[in-house]
Amino acid sequence: MDEKKERSLSRIREELAMYEPVVELLKLEPGEMGHLQLPIVENIVEQHKGTIECVEEGKTFLASQFTNPVEILTAMDVHWYFHIQQLFAASGSGGGLHTDEDLEGADKLNIPRDCCTLIRLGHYLQVAGLYPIPTAYLSITEPCDSIAGWHAAFMHHPDWRNIPVFAPDPPYHTDERAIDYYARQMREMVDFITEHTGQTLDMDRLRETVEETNKGYALWMEYNEIRRSSPTPHSYTLPLSCFFQINTLGAGDPKKTLWYKDIVADAERRVKENKPEFPNQKIRVFWYDIQPFYFGEIVSWLEQEWGGVIAMDMVSYCPYELIDTSTEDSMFQGLAKRAFQHGPMVHQGRGLAENVIYDITRIVKDYKIDCVIFPGHMGHKDMAASSSIMRETCRELGVPFLYIGLDVADHRYTTADEIKDRISQFFTAMGLG
Amino acid sequence: METNIKSKTLDEFKTITGTMINPAVQEWKDNGGKVIGYFCCNIPDEVMTAAGILPLRLRGTGSTGTELSDAFYSSINCSFPRHVFNMALNHEFDILDGLIVPNSCDHIRRIYDNWLRQLDIGFLEMFNLPRKVEEPQVQWYKDEVHLLVEKLEKQFGVEITEEKLKNAIKLHNENRRLLKQIYELRKVDNPPITGGQMIAVIVAGTAIPRDKYNEMLKELLEDLKGAEGIKDHRARLMVLGGILDDPEYMDILEDQGGLVVTDSICFGTRLFWTEVSEEGDPYEAIARYQIQQRPTCPRSYGDQPKRAQYLLDMIKEFKVDGVIGERLLFCDSWVVEHYMNDQDLKEAGVPFLKLDREYILSGKGQLRTRVQAFLEMLGGK
Repeated sequence: MDEKKERSLSRIREELAMYEPVVELLKLEPGEMGHLQLPIVENIVEQHKGTIECVEEGKTFLASQFTNPVEILTAMDVHWYFHIQQLFAASGSGGGLHTDEDLEGADKLNIPRDCCTLIRLGHYLQVAGLYPIPTAYLSITEPCDSIAGWHAAFMHHPDWRNIPVFAPDPPYHTDERAIDYYARQMREMVDFITEHTGQTLDMDRLRETVEETNKGYALWMEYNEIRRSSPTPHSYTLPLSCFFQINTLGAGDPKKTLWYKDIVADAERRVKENKPEFPNQKIRVFWYDIQPFYFGEIVSWLEQEWGGVIAMDMVSYCPYELIDTSTEDSMFQGLAKRAFQHGPMVHQGRGLAENVIYDITRIVKDYKIDCVIFPGHMGHKDMAASSSIMRETCRELGVPFLYIGLDVADHRYTTADEIKDRISQFFTAMGLG
Repeated sequence: METNIKSKTLDEFKTITGTMINPAVQEWKDNGGKVIGYFCCNIPDEVMTAAGILPLRLRGTGSTGTELSDAFYSSINCSFPRHVFNMALNHEFDILDGLIVPNSCDHIRRIYDNWLRQLDIGFLEMFNLPRKVEEPQVQWYKDEVHLLVEKLEKQFGVEITEEKLKNAIKLHNENRRLLKQIYELRKVDNPPITGGQMIAVIVAGTAIPRDKYNEMLKELLEDLKGAEGIKDHRARLMVLGGILDDPEYMDILEDQGGLVVTDSICFGTRLFWTEVSEEGDPYEAIARYQIQQRPTCPRSYGDQPKRAQYLLDMIKEFKVDGVIGERLLFCDSWVVEHYMNDQDLKEAGVPFLKLDREYILSGKGQLRTRVQAFLEMLGGK
């Protein structure tokens, strides 16, 4: 294997070396939560091994976006990796060994720092040769200007310029016309994958896959119903994993459905026995944005210092619908809706501010929320321009609202200590906790 | 840098550009006409003309602050919508009978949401733009134009026939042809008009009735044909970027000795370099023009190689010595585009200067210094 290919796998190999012992450890000493944690880690390991195998053996594989339907990729039996996941996990930027190195690399790119750091980091990883170069690439044009620009820059890079790319183009509105338009693009995506990988789509296999992911989504919804209870059963990691589990390799695998059953059962038990993962909960927070890389530090402090619990967040909130599998058309329409209306960021960032009002209103009411925190990632400029609408919605609901202003990737922008200070001042001023 | 040109029409263009609600808009309104505001190049303003409504492209010209709009926008938002929305909250756009906002960028699209909640306006429409430039997007845009026509007809009690739409296309195409004729004059060694003057001409065209504009352009062309060309420039520049509507910005570049001879900006060639087809279905023609035929900005996905070629063609046609890439702070579309432009221009051996700015001109001293240094690097006279 040439040097470039080897380098493109280096972070994945590093992460594999880190997670494989964790798998063994969890098997030996599962503890109270091991049965829920093990499948998540195993999934990462399996995903990475698959990518390594593809690169080493010259097999076809794709790079994709988290919004592109995994059901289609699974049913077409093609391996893929999400390069945004590389950013959060395999790059080590998730608070790991390479965080500062990657940020410094991104700073040297000649891209102004008011540009979303996730985009700058993602581009740095590409320039540094840390993404495996796929057979073909599934991009997307939303939910924000920087994502569209990022993919354009991706395809401009000399090593990627000749990689075939398909980008579905989510419409701004969400009516029937929009759904039909996007469903047609999902079909175009299938044709594109066939053209470049030789893999075809078997509709029966797609139906089976969707029916299985439907079960997962139904259980995720059930789990989120249980999260309404106070105290909330779990801290933030497991709820976030709900999104990860269904949207990565192995979608449609009954093993994953079992994981959702287990998490529901665990939550039910904790509620029944009044034994939440994190006890002494006093403040129920709705975290309305994606989580910073350094979220673990913030949440541990929040829980211990204030008894604050993330009762709901943008990523684990689940406005999904189950897909009607009765016809081919209904499946593609359902997959289209799931892809451009329901997923995190595409749901909130793309489209009218009504989505924001709906989310806040429903979640504050359903989850007995004490306060809404809008972290305000510096890249989410459309959301920043909706912050007054969020504030007004919270005012009408009678729930305090805090807009922090941080960088989910770069802890130097607003440090963890500054974030803690802002939250403490807010809680104190609002008489919470 | 000034030309020796004596043109009453050019002075009139400057006056129109120097204010938002110019006398022609007021006169139109006083005569019972309707006015619809809009943003960006990708709104089909021919439709408003066909409806007998004056399309007025909104700017923040004359804005002195963002005290009111800062409550609705954040410090990480572009200053253009903040100034425009501030003017709206100050009731400086109360003259409007309607507003059409496209989802052209993350900052502008939120004007729709905030306007909806803070201000009363009879007609407020979000125009749903696709990002890609392929056939399904042409059809999507065509449907959007149909929907817009239906809504305008209902709201304003007008009938927008295909014939009216075709006539509007012809009128707007005439705008485009006349502007292109002026640009032809800028290709020569000693162009008769500066970049600052040109921007005043173009901006004015988005703020007055288009038939009146055509007459004024014809007068200007006559004046320019007899004018003496500019000889004292050190280098020929192209300006590349987004919403730049302030002639003074160009004046500063040109005061240092650079003569702006062409551009690819929102109030520049991207508005008129190609024409809408006057044959066949006018809805289809407008859609194809907007999605595939007009020079695009970075919001259009998959079109970067074509944009890069357009840039190189312009450089060659206008004998450009160096390119200035301007960008409004916090604009993520142009940040990535300029990153790619930087690489493409380096490969082509064309000097490129990137300049970030706020919408309302500030930091003039710094701007002068950077442009001076760039011109020196170009090795001008």
